[in-house]
Amino acid sequence: MIHTKTHDPNITVIRPGAERLTAVNAKAFKDEVTDLINGGATQLIVDFKDVSFLDSSGLGALVGVLKKIGHRGELSISGLSSDVQQMFRICRMDRVFTVYDDVNSAVQSMAESQ
Amino acid sequence: MRNTLEDVDLLVTSLKDVVCVALGPEVTFRFEICVSEALTNIVKHAKPKVTEGRIDITVTEFDRTVMIEIFEPVGTDAFDPRDHAADLDTIDPLAEEGRGLGLIMQCADVVDYGLSGDRNRLALQFAMPIKCPDEMHSGEQK
Repeated sequence: MIHTKTHDPNITVIRPGAERLTAVNAKAFKDEVTDLINGGATQLIVDFKDVSFLDSSGLGALVGVLKKIGHRGELSISGLSSDVQQMFRICRMDRVFTVYDDVNSAVQSMAESQ
Repeated sequence: MRNTLEDVDLLVTSLKDVVCVALGPEVTFRFEICVSEALTNIVKHAKPKVTEGRIDITVTEFDRTVMIEIFEPVGTDAFDPRDHAADLDTIDPLAEEGRGLGLIMQCADVVDYGLSGDRNRLALQFAMPIKCPDEMHSGEQK
């Protein structure tokens, strides 16, 4: 379901490929991103530009991905709609993830930190 | 609705379209979260003992309030979210589960749960936003 695009140096941008990230597709999302990590990707940006709704299962999948990367790499978030941003805030996830307004800012920041 | 996760998403988006005019964007967001979490919880955890699980839903409007009633399948064990919800402030930030009931308690204005006939019923209420005078007159024609 996910769409990926690689930026230099070795930054992978992931788009969930669904307008709603919920219990229906959260496991598939997590499994596919985990496959990327197992394949060597460690600098990840999940771009939510096309996601309008996220439930607790979607958030849980995102936390699972963060734990999978651990100290081996970095995971940032970009492009949150106001509703998804509100969901992050209610669940205190804005304290867990680094969030950027758009994917270009996230890529630039991640590239500069390497 | 059928007792499947696929039906949850379809139903939530349909219900959201029904209530969005009355509730406005901020309350509609809270409504969508609550209904999605409540229905997902029933589909994943409320296993009916007797029959195939059908979930019934009613939406009513009264006194500037929208109420959704969710009737669990016949034969499920009672599970009152008010007794089991974790405070979202106390949940481990790296927990992958356990936020759904806390979201319902935080996002609904009133949560009620109990038996209705032979089925468990979850009722969630959402107050309609108070319109400012400018908005109240914006639809009037001279």
